Amino acid sequence: MILRALLLRPLLRRPWRFLITVIGVATGVAAVVSTIAASRAAVASFAEGVDEVAGVARLEITRSGGLPDATLATLRSLTSEALLIPVVEDTVLLMELGDGVRLLGVDLLLDAQVRPVLSGDDPLPDLDATLLGFGALISRPLATEIGVEPGDELTVSVGGRPRTIEVAALFEADGLSAVWERVVVMDVAPAQELLGKVGRLDRIELVPRDGVDVEDLQTRATELLTSDLTIAAPGERRRFAEQMLASLRFNLVALSAISLLVAGVLIATTLATSVVQRRFVVSLLRSMGASRRKIAAVVLVEALGIGVVGGVIGVAAGFLGARLALASVRFTVASVVRGIPASEIRFDPQLAALGLAIAIATALAASILPLKEIMAVPPLQGLRTTPPQRMARGSRLMALAALLIMAVVVVILARMPAIRDLPIPALTSALVAMAGLLVGSGLLLDSLARIGHVPFARMRGAALQLAAAALSAGRQRAAWAAGSVAVAIALAVAIATMVSSFRATVESWTDSGMRADLWVRPLAADTGVWVGRLDPEIVGIAEDLFGAETVDPFYSQTIDYRGRPVSFAGAAFDVVRFHGSVPFPGRDSAEVFDLAWRERAAVVNEPFATRFDVVEGDTIRLDLPGGVLEREVVGVFRDYSRSHGLVVVDRSDFLGFFPDAGPDDMALFLPPEIDPDVARERFFDAVRGRFLVEALDNRELRAAVLSAFERTFAITTAMYLVTAVVAVVAVLTVLLTLVGERRRELATVRAIGGSRRQLLAMVVAEAGLLGIAAASAGTLVGIAVGIILVKVVNLQSFGWSLELVLPWSSMAGMAAWVVVTCMIAGLPPALVAARLQPATVLREEG
Amino acid sequence: MMEDSGAAVGSGSVMETVVEIVGAGRDFHRGQEVVRALVELSLTLDAGELAALIGPSGCGKSTALNLVAAVDRPDRGSVRVCGIDIATATEDELVTLRRRRIGMVFQAFHLVPHLTVEENIALPLALDGRRDSERVRALIDRVGLAHRAGHYPSELSGGEQQRTAVARALVHQPRVVVADEPTGNLDSRTGAAVIELLDELRRSEGAALLLATHDAKVAAAADRIYALADGRLVD
Repeated sequence: MILRALLLRPLLRRPWRFLITVIGVATGVAAVVSTIAASRAAVASFAEGVDEVAGVARLEITRSGGLPDATLATLRSLTSEALLIPVVEDTVLLMELGDGVRLLGVDLLLDAQVRPVLSGDDPLPDLDATLLGFGALISRPLATEIGVEPGDELTVSVGGRPRTIEVAALFEADGLSAVWERVVVMDVAPAQELLGKVGRLDRIELVPRDGVDVEDLQTRATELLTSDLTIAAPGERRRFAEQMLASLRFNLVALSAISLLVAGVLIATTLATSVVQRRFVVSLLRSMGASRRKIAAVVLVEALGIGVVGGVIGVAAGFLGARLALASVRFTVASVVRGIPASEIRFDPQLAALGLAIAIATALAASILPLKEIMAVPPLQGLRTTPPQRMARGSRLMALAALLIMAVVVVILARMPAIRDLPIPALTSALVAMAGLLVGSGLLLDSLARIGHVPFARMRGAALQLAAAALSAGRQRAAWAAGSVAVAIALAVAIATMVSSFRATVESWTDSGMRADLWVRPLAADTGVWVGRLDPEIVGIAEDLFGAETVDPFYSQTIDYRGRPVSFAGAAFDVVRFHGSVPFPGRDSAEVFDLAWRERAAVVNEPFATRFDVVEGDTIRLDLPGGVLEREVVGVFRDYSRSHGLVVVDRSDFLGFFPDAGPDDMALFLPPEIDPDVARERFFDAVRGRFLVEALDNRELRAAVLSAFERTFAITTAMYLVTAVVAVVAVLTVLLTLVGERRRELATVRAIGGSRRQLLAMVVAEAGLLGIAAASAGTLVGIAVGIILVKVVNLQSFGWSLELVLPWSSMAGMAAWVVVTCMIAGLPPALVAARLQPATVLREEG
Repeated sequence: MMEDSGAAVGSGSVMETVVEIVGAGRDFHRGQEVVRALVELSLTLDAGELAALIGPSGCGKSTALNLVAAVDRPDRGSVRVCGIDIATATEDELVTLRRRRIGMVFQAFHLVPHLTVEENIALPLALDGRRDSERVRALIDRVGLAHRAGHYPSELSGGEQQRTAVARALVHQPRVVVADEPTGNLDSRTGAAVIELLDELRRSEGAALLLATHDAKVAAAADRIYALADGRLVD
């Protein structure tokens, strides 16, 4: 009965408030779920798929750049204890799909025991094609997607070289990870030939036979291997990639979590307003013997309802939104770890449960203060009109003290180092700063009313004076709305600061560092993500056409340095020393490369220098396949194309350790007399029909780099729009409640001569003042958070030092937009106030 | 027609009729039910007069006062206040009438809770875009609240609140003051003091007073008494 009186009937009569809150919660949850789902899908083949693709393999033997397949012979004595499965693997561009796929070369005769997908009834109908030719097994969903059947041919681009493979069979992917939809399986020998890895393997998998202890097997295998080979569980590969991606994913999720903060405020506001509106009924029920617990249970049920319904809708919207976000996230991920094909977004029950749990937890947490309020509602006899809620002096001092303490905490946290390379203290400081807006908004509104009281009173007309006084009096409710708007604008300003700083830095970086006339890279997928590397033959073609002194191929390989993944790279120092390349702060790039060329030294990027505390003059020691390389560091360069460490040596040093490697890309520094467009045509003529590559001129290259950054920030831009919508909804809800609370007062004003226009102006002015307060506080905190993001979070996450650029015109625009939007949000409640019939209200209210 | 200066029309004439109600009726709809709050009412009030409306609860006193105060319109008959026909006047005309010609005192005081005493009293002037600090302060003194000018209604006693409401009702020099059971929430002693104050002030301001009351003593002091029962005047 209590539930019906306090919740169900009011809900049926006025469902909009519940719906608006549900939408707000759903939006916050959708932001989190879509971010996680998109980032997971973007790295599916590494993060979740490694274990599945590894099948039942318990150990893997690997080496940076691959291991010689003769290693199999070294391990022959272990065959009684384990299956030894040779594997080659790489990402290739599947032309029919327009996207990258993982090409897995395994011993198909042995592997049926290892990988689940090959355990079907007849996975190898055409043994000749698969074992002797370039036959491949693809998943049925992939085959359906690209419209092929067994017997059809596919074209893959490997190192820019188009190769043909045949669909030998289809395998079912039901019940398996989504990664299998982007895996093409071939026999190891043709795969080695296709991938240009003849004589090499990417890993050897060990599958212990029954009764064999894995640790003992590992020990015996280690005794047989050379020191440059690593033996570990398959999860180690995942750890490597996850380390590289950890900061990126953490930052994305942390930013999306802020939208949850705003959603939580919205829930608290809604529940609090529902308490206000049901105050009389609650006090009546208390008079008739209803306990506080029973009354409180109603609020909890409402919160739970909001959480459940909002969570379900949010999860559904999140998975849909992830599809939209996937391209942007993949682009961002590709800047960290290249060549990862993404899987499609699939419904993940665990993520759905997490989203629902987050929604419920947020709703229940937000119900704490409204719960406290409703439990304090006295029985009817003690019910009084709510007096004005101006802050007492003691409360103001406490709020001020709390804000000062929070400010100190923000500064302390912002100066703390990262935890496991994650900027947890810095992001926490940003969160505390945002929370400070919620804590301080009441004080702000109260101060606004006090300070504005005199000038407002001197103005002709009572609208501003009444609006300021009403805001101050309804401070507790209005503070929540002001707080949520302030958080939204703070987030917007912080992100705008980060984006403008990034853009200015990258523009400056491209201006000073991108000097090549042409830049050749592998063909990109439809999403714009590069796939694979260039074939070494392409370098020879370019050198023949334009001269070796014009060609700068760039090679890289991920290696382990002090337990962390870094890129070890080789470039043509003999070429770039005449032209310069990446910018070295305070130094001439060409001079640095000339020094590196003459001294056979290395240059490193800022992320490497920051993470490993390396400065110019230090010597670094790299454990590479077949030996150790020690080089002095003669320069630290700015690098915004990657977030992990990079060590660059001359290509001769690099190729000494990885002789079969193809370059990631190639820069051409043409003589002045050669027109880049003409050169591009000549190059394409030379490679036509043999290689599929792209060649960008300098202008196109800079545009591509800037476009990559715009796409990277697209997802964060979307987040603050979502947050702004939620905040405006909070303003609308609160103002409607304030108007509802003040019906008698508003009717009195009408009765003593207030016009409808004046009441309308009063409520809109209230909304405007709320917007001004929120915009002011939000902008200030947003600048502080922006500085933390630019100067601390980016440095700790990615090792990037950025130039701080505050987007003043954007901030002014945002502030103005917020004020206008709040005033627009104030229109519906203003119309309600203006339409009050004074006689009716005064009769009702006594 | 309203004069912007707010000066009384025909202010020299004691017998000028400021309120004229002829056969006025007002109905309210509660779902399917029609409640005839006022069936047929006719009364007049001259400038400077004190008229009392008496009758049991639910007889239509408040409804009648709301019509005179121009916060409601009649469904039947005519209600003219300071020459304005309430039934046919535009919204702007009614607003101007309330701002400049009519003052209201309510049983429940109805002060704006987040404005001080001084601000509440000044509110009708502010709504009309006017300021007159001297008049406001003078009224505060006259109602004996100089020491409470900066306090909020929640900090005042019932009598102090009603005195504030009385000052507010007179600050803009209205022609008509409408008081709906102004002593209903006060003890007898305080109520008597408030009535005395209200009467004294309105006399000095030259305003007519239409007062709804249960109090026989108050009614007895009126120039005219109108008794209502079931929405009609009774003898």
